[in-house]
Amino acid sequence: MIEGKYKHLGELKKNILQCISCGDCREATDYTMIPPKWGVCVAREHTPGFEPFFGRGKLQIIRSLWQGRLELSKDLADVIFQCPTCGACAKICAYGINSVEYYEALRAELVEAGCGIESHQAMNHSLLAKLNPYDQDNARKNEWMNKLDFKIKRAGEQPAEVLYFAGCTAALSPEVQVVAIKTARAFHKLGVDFAVLGGQEICCGSVAKRTGEARVFQATAEKNAALFKKIGIKTIVTSCAGCYRTLKIDYKNVLEGSGIEVLHTVEFLEKLINIKGIQLKNLGLHVTYHDPCHAGRHIGLYEPPRALLSRMARITEMKTIKDSAKCCGAGGGVKKAFPKLALEIGKGRIQEAEETGADYIVTICPFCERNLADAIKEKGSAMKIKDLLELLDEAL
Amino acid sequence: MTDIKQALGEIEAVVGPEYVTDKDFMKAAYSRNVDPAFPDRWADIIVRPGTTEEVSAIVRIANKYKIIMVPRGGGADLVGGSATKGGILIDLTRMNHILEVNKDDFYCIVECGITWGALVSDLHPKGLTTGVLGPGSGYSATIGGGLSNSTAGYGSTKYGLVPDICLGVEVVLPDPEGTILRTGVAANKYAKPFARYGVAPDFTGLFMGDVGTMGIKTKAFLRLAPNPPYKAGRYYILNKNDYGKVFELIKELRSKVGDGLSDVIVVPQPVVQIQAGMAKAKPPKRPRLTGSVFLLAFEAFDERILEINIKQVEEIMTRDGVCRPFEFQEIDLAEPLTKDWRFTLEYAYHYFNRFISIVPDTISCTTCHKIPISFIKDGERMSHAFDAKFRTEFPDKSLSLFATVIYALPNGNCVFVGGFNSFNTEAQQPVAMKMWHKKVRAQARYGGAHYWLGESISQSIVEAGAYTPEFAAFFKNMKKVVDPNCLLSPNKFHVHNYDEIMSKYEEKDEPYLEAGDKS
Repeated sequence: MIEGKYKHLGELKKNILQCISCGDCREATDYTMIPPKWGVCVAREHTPGFEPFFGRGKLQIIRSLWQGRLELSKDLADVIFQCPTCGACAKICAYGINSVEYYEALRAELVEAGCGIESHQAMNHSLLAKLNPYDQDNARKNEWMNKLDFKIKRAGEQPAEVLYFAGCTAALSPEVQVVAIKTARAFHKLGVDFAVLGGQEICCGSVAKRTGEARVFQATAEKNAALFKKIGIKTIVTSCAGCYRTLKIDYKNVLEGSGIEVLHTVEFLEKLINIKGIQLKNLGLHVTYHDPCHAGRHIGLYEPPRALLSRMARITEMKTIKDSAKCCGAGGGVKKAFPKLALEIGKGRIQEAEETGADYIVTICPFCERNLADAIKEKGSAMKIKDLLELLDEAL
Repeated sequence: MTDIKQALGEIEAVVGPEYVTDKDFMKAAYSRNVDPAFPDRWADIIVRPGTTEEVSAIVRIANKYKIIMVPRGGGADLVGGSATKGGILIDLTRMNHILEVNKDDFYCIVECGITWGALVSDLHPKGLTTGVLGPGSGYSATIGGGLSNSTAGYGSTKYGLVPDICLGVEVVLPDPEGTILRTGVAANKYAKPFARYGVAPDFTGLFMGDVGTMGIKTKAFLRLAPNPPYKAGRYYILNKNDYGKVFELIKELRSKVGDGLSDVIVVPQPVVQIQAGMAKAKPPKRPRLTGSVFLLAFEAFDERILEINIKQVEEIMTRDGVCRPFEFQEIDLAEPLTKDWRFTLEYAYHYFNRFISIVPDTISCTTCHKIPISFIKDGERMSHAFDAKFRTEFPDKSLSLFATVIYALPNGNCVFVGGFNSFNTEAQQPVAMKMWHKKVRAQARYGGAHYWLGESISQSIVEAGAYTPEFAAFFKNMKKVVDPNCLLSPNKFHVHNYDEIMSKYEEKDEPYLEAGDKS
């Protein structure tokens, strides 16, 4: 054993040898599961498929590193980062191994050994320097608000019950800016007392966490935690599944004892709409719903989006949903470093959506939306993509 | 340039550069199976062929450079069968397509790299089944692996072992030509693969349970059955633990209910106690676990027949107070009641996985073997006698179970699904391996028939001197015909070359039964 050599893996060492190598994480097709599972690993399905492209191989590599039989390398990194860390492998594991934790620790080791992926390095550098991973002036996070016909409170300047954390993708990507706009409009219509950070909003650090930049993530999380505490907010609502997972799970340590509750917009609004007894307009649309991994498999947010959607539209579910849902392919730094792979996985998901006969694929993650929109274009699909908040704004 | 590098280049030209590798981290990822005893073994080359013709070409290259080959299916081998030190590891999971499901003639043609889970998930919604659903690792285990290991699994009580549903195979022989053969009725080039026997001797059998030593199976022709729509489960616990009674009850169930039961599984009393300890939701008060538990699965095409069989079984099991109905909810509140029982693949495929590593970081050295049902009581007693005699030779803190389950098979035999566990560390590996061989030798000598043979068990059978010299010579001669250069899985059965005789590897072991014990 190489105790001490691998700091990040060392933190997880208790179960590092627990994987028995059964290989269920490879595909585990099971029509009897509820919902049925039609395969497991999307990365394996769209790559050469050798063992390191799915869970068992990665865990075996970790074992070999841990036992001093293998060294970290760029070649290894090139495969280990071709995984959207969707967590489908963890869900099927008979021993409940949270494999994503291990992949992220391995990525952190690779980055610290100088074997990280170049495009990720640039992204994470931007995160530190510009507070967002898109290498943009963070002040541009104010721009989406110019498209509103009402003013939003500024967090820290005016007291508010809720902080709306828009996230970098919705705030800075013109293609999905509509998510932030529609969220704010829905809040406004429903009388939610909310504020935003705008140009002061710091990236949640999800990209750093997923791509092995442990130090960047830690620094970012601490900065954000200090900011949240300073503005005295108790409820953070976000419309980005990536931010949701990061703030809710990965910030556990830095937010401990703060009493801050983190919610996704749809769970917040579904509850509010029910409490207020608000009727939603049926939009007459035929939709299918894509579960983002970070909101779904990682946290279990399955029913609120479906409950809202079913009141506005007719839903036909895809072949793989909820715990068994196929990933869009964008997460874990895949879209940045391996855009073709992200697109291929996304096309697979669009294929499933097309098979439902629905006209729209609806989701609750701007990053999924971006990748699936790219996949629709690449595939030449007639499918249209919407964030749930876009529909909700129309239905309110 | 070395032969390995030359071969790598030639294989690359066959399968394309993305499907062959010699990178270290790839070798590390393929270096283990599901056991704690083998050291990590790195192949020289790992290849993922996509067609039978590619497999044939790889075999020709291997023969050209005299490089050993090991085929690999799902890689969940329990006995060291699908990893290799050096040579070419042929990962067949890319060949995973269903080529035909013939609903009229009840057979299917599949590539051998497809998993049991994937095949069954395709068939059951169509009202068809393979009957035996493959091994406990069926989510990842392949059809090819099931055939190579003569596997039992869920459904085996009624439908038999995996080779029992095999109508023939397409196989690449490991000869210098990489010959492609089709067996069964498919040996008639004009025929569809609808039956196994006829046309020629049953050469399909040559490749069943061969643990990848006689050929590389690329396609399988499998018998299908209509999937009975009515299914139910019932559990009974023996009021007094008595393995003689286990035999009597299995015999009576076979005699009086027959194929009405798709599965007769007995969980020995110590395992029920372990399960109680592993419960997700422990009840406030645990019942007295008086004996082994019978898990019975029923199936029928008519609900009335299902009910009749359930009633008949109830009468057999509870007569004279031998058993009482049991619910796993008595030991684990998270378990469903039998009235809510529904067939699931997870039940079929994860039950065994749970026992591979009862204690974290340990893995089981599997010693699954078949015995006649009349031998259950003696088998249990002899296993305990062995464990007691050699207790100090087991790995540290090892738990040895003669059976985690006793699985009834169609004609009066059953599987002792058992083994002992060991921490998967370098220090423990040789200790575990030594005991593994010793225990299997003892089981072979009491007449046990192992089926997961891989490397460790196939070698142990040879070490036990179980094969007659005539059989051993015949076996080697047959292998020499198909594999003249002795390149395919050469370590299995201690067939390292054709010059040695198998008896060279025989081991003498100290007796473990008391003097006068007639068993």
